[in-house]
Amino acid sequence: MLTVSQQIAIRKGLLEFAVLKVVGMGSVYAADILYRLQATEFATQEGTLYPLLSKLRRDGLVVYKWQESELGPPRKYYQLTDLGRKQIAALDLYWKIIDQTLRQLGRQSGLVTES
Amino acid sequence: MQRIVQVSLNRNPWSIEVDAHERLQVYLSESAAALASDPDRDEILLDLEQAIAEQCKRRLSANAAVISMAELRPALEEIGPVNPSSSAGATPCSPTASSTPPLQQISQGAWISGVCVGLSRHLRLEVTLVRVIAVVLLFFTGGAALLLYGVLMLLIPFAPLDPQLPDPLSIPAKAREWTAVLRAKLAKLAR
Repeated sequence: MLTVSQQIAIRKGLLEFAVLKVVGMGSVYAADILYRLQATEFATQEGTLYPLLSKLRRDGLVVYKWQESELGPPRKYYQLTDLGRKQIAALDLYWKIIDQTLRQLGRQSGLVTES
Repeated sequence: MQRIVQVSLNRNPWSIEVDAHERLQVYLSESAAALASDPDRDEILLDLEQAIAEQCKRRLSANAAVISMAELRPALEEIGPVNPSSSAGATPCSPTASSTPPLQQISQGAWISGVCVGLSRHLRLEVTLVRVIAVVLLFFTGGAALLLYGVLMLLIPFAPLDPQLPDPLSIPAKAREWTAVLRAKLAKLAR
């Protein structure tokens, strides 16, 4: 059984990936992202999301543009950049490699002592 | 009836009750401290102010226009404490920063405001030793060390509360709040 802090450590590293994926769905603003993540393992809060979006923007993975909304002030709508799309592809591949590695590590046949 | 003050949230004016205003200032100054090394600090703070305004508005009844604790507390809970994202290029000094804990005031386990606990962690000394030095200094300087303590309280940022540790005692908790309010007032004066 994983402890809560172990789960948090795993999720923390993957949150950036999850947010990039949600932004990849199209033009989204912060509340869309929170709503999309809400029911998943990656449920998060503004206090975490805003600094993360800022970092993704600084890294050149997402851009935002202001858009008027019917209720309240204009909102920042986020979109992936080309670099962001490449980053998602790279992360997808890396995730597959990690997954494969973890599966293989659990198998007996990989042990050197057997040969 | 509570006293009401005006506050600007993402450049929009709001009316807010005094105790909610103090709580808001504490949240904003703790957020600013958590984002101290973030190049986009000011922008993120404005985004947070906007989120707070929207969350409170959603909770206000139709004919109410004044934010009180009843709206602010659940709003801040939903927004959550600021969790800085460390950017690869943002803090060039991060490798050294990780070897020495940063100088912060640590409210949990503190007697007054956490200056001694913070110093002890930063300098890797026993907290008792730091406190003994502080008390000796207090006697030798005829009380002037108190002033030094006050200055350090104002200058040294507060460490975010660790949910795994017990809550701060009542004096450090109050000290943390008052310092945040005082800092916010000084920042306003400086503007």
